Amino acid sequence: MEAQPDLTQLVKDCSPIVRFGLLDDWLALARANSLWPLTFGLACCAIEMMAAGASRFDLARFGAEVFRPSPRQADVMIVAGTINKKMAGAVKTLYDQMPEPKWVIAMGNCAISGGPFVFPGQYAVVEGVGKLFPVDVFVPGCPPRPEALIEGILKLEEKLTGKRRWPTVKPE
Amino acid sequence: MIVNEPTCSSAAGTAPRETFVLNLGPQHPATHGVLRVKMTMDGEYVLRAEPVCGYIHRMQEKMGENRTYAQYLPNTSRIDYLSAMTYTHGFVGAVERAARIVVPPRAEYIRVITSELNRISSHLVWWGAFLLDLGGFTPLLYAFDDREMILDLLEGITGARLTYCYYRFGGLYNDVDEAFLRGARQFVLHMRPRLKMYRALVTENIILRKRLIGIGPISAELCRKYGATGPVVRGSGVPYDVRKAEPYSVYRELDFDIPAFPEGDSMARYLVRMEEMAQSLRIIEQALDKLPDGPVMAEKVPRVLKLPAGDYCYAVEAARGRFMVRLVSDNKEIPYRVKLRTPCLSNLSLFEEASRGMLLADALALLGSLDMVIPDIDR
Amino acid sequence: MAHGEAGVRAGRAMTRRVMNGKDANPEIPEKEGPLTPGLPNATPSGVGQQAGPALEPRPDPLARLPLPFQAVDYGLKGYHLEAAVQPDQVVSAAQHLDREGFSLDTITGVDWLAQGQMEVVYDYFHPSRGLRAVVRTRIPRENPEIPTLSQVFPGANWHERETHDFFGIRFLGHPDLSPFLLPEDADYHPLRKDFEA
Repeated sequence: MEAQPDLTQLVKDCSPIVRFGLLDDWLALARANSLWPLTFGLACCAIEMMAAGASRFDLARFGAEVFRPSPRQADVMIVAGTINKKMAGAVKTLYDQMPEPKWVIAMGNCAISGGPFVFPGQYAVVEGVGKLFPVDVFVPGCPPRPEALIEGILKLEEKLTGKRRWPTVKPE
Repeated sequence: MIVNEPTCSSAAGTAPRETFVLNLGPQHPATHGVLRVKMTMDGEYVLRAEPVCGYIHRMQEKMGENRTYAQYLPNTSRIDYLSAMTYTHGFVGAVERAARIVVPPRAEYIRVITSELNRISSHLVWWGAFLLDLGGFTPLLYAFDDREMILDLLEGITGARLTYCYYRFGGLYNDVDEAFLRGARQFVLHMRPRLKMYRALVTENIILRKRLIGIGPISAELCRKYGATGPVVRGSGVPYDVRKAEPYSVYRELDFDIPAFPEGDSMARYLVRMEEMAQSLRIIEQALDKLPDGPVMAEKVPRVLKLPAGDYCYAVEAARGRFMVRLVSDNKEIPYRVKLRTPCLSNLSLFEEASRGMLLADALALLGSLDMVIPDIDR
Repeated sequence: MAHGEAGVRAGRAMTRRVMNGKDANPEIPEKEGPLTPGLPNATPSGVGQQAGPALEPRPDPLARLPLPFQAVDYGLKGYHLEAAVQPDQVVSAAQHLDREGFSLDTITGVDWLAQGQMEVVYDYFHPSRGLRAVVRTRIPRENPEIPTLSQVFPGANWHERETHDFFGIRFLGHPDLSPFLLPEDADYHPLRKDFEA
């Protein structure tokens, strides 16, 4: 029986040979401030996603208002709604079609864990988009407020750049 | 597939024609959810458009058999999330009808006010999204701005923006406050000039008129054969509205018209919905004037409801048409069968016949004018 | 005249005509005649006309039909008339109701496991008379088959596909009974009472 490959060594071997330091930081900043979401509203959360992109909550301030219908042009897939077993193949295809670097925001309880539609004996719902591909940010709520989605995008920006550029709103 | 007979796009002579199958969806900006339409196309003309549903099937009817009546209430908001209040009204009304619970009048009037506010917000989303499909981005922003005012009002009393769970068996769980009543009156005053502005900005816009007038004619007979209801059938000239045909709640005491336009094209359906928003404002005003004092919850509603055995129906006029709940009970706490008759399924079933021979862009205008919310079909 | 001005004027004139209760475009003849000849309130109305109060159902309105319709307490049940028929009579019931001007509301099934039967319920509504009729029938559970309604009401096509998806009821003569809400390769019927996920 052969020994398990050393995972730490494997990660070190797979990291890019050439690193750019400051340019990497600038690239991360540029990517974080111009995340182009894929129009992937499936159910109720889609309406709150639209409201987040509309006039009051305005995703445009964060660079994310250009919703692309085609996955080839999108950076981040905001999975807003319930994933069905019939739809799961299509979702995976869309994820595969997105070019690197790509990120996934699971918006709403259905995308996180199947939401209110999980019951013993359920036959149609995939319990969370994390079962299909890796998720970067989870935004809970049913549906989450547009402000929550914006906070999710800011968390993703923090994940990309390592710093949070916008102040955290403290509830009074 | 080579088709040799001349087709609708036979401008190029007698060369053998080839059709192809174009897949619209399930991820598409204009299908309003996860609808897949398999279109057999001849160039730009649609020969056959076959909708494929089931991509957002969330087992709502199966869940009815796994939840008590009270536990099922959140599900009702999520069937058609844009008119969540009216759908909860349908379910709550069916249970109240079966258990013979009498709702106090103040609760009925508040139900009407909130349902009509919900109808306006649903029509605003339809309007914005429809114009987005046709290529105009601005009305979406105006519509969502007005909609935020409604959502602020409803959030103040229910706590939710989209999927309210406000009605309970026997009334409401929370009374409205002064802020809501004042805000509702202010909203009515704000919305009337906005509707005038929308008419000048969009409805009388020459581009919109050319895109919609004469496009997608649906006859009243076609609506009847497919069971289409709501603005689809009212846009074909039939003034069928559940609020007048089978009056429920306090609609009998309120004075409103049913807009019906006889042309049957997309413009007629568009005008029906715009006019319905004005009529809803009228209903809200009257209900605010007539709002009586009193409790908002019936007395002696059992904590755990057991309906007598049999089947019971309750129909409401949702934003998209006739929504009916059919409950079959066998005298247990859990329903035996919950059947949800949703308007979008019947409305979409005529799309295949109505879209034959249309240009693709016109077929999408027709689809938008039918006002689809796909979880309503798939439940 | 400025570009588009003629169109805007025509649009405003059309809206004015409609708001005054007239036909939107008087040149184009009405496409459909009255919906059901001989019945009151069958002509369409424009905006501005008061739609009449809800029509009370006349006593025994479908008495002349050869169907065992019985009046039902609407305030309790939510429908006016109910008929229990044999499975081979559902198509003729639909044809009679079609001739009367009814529209198909929905078709659904109920799985009575304890009695070994499946009930198929057909709901109808009338667009101008405000009537609601229900036709119900029972078929054996082991081999549930019933003739299709899709030749009479094309809208039945999707309702029957859904009922087949959920209960496994085969609708004889249906053009395409493939899964509608379930995945294309589904071979289970989830709303049966003995269904295990």
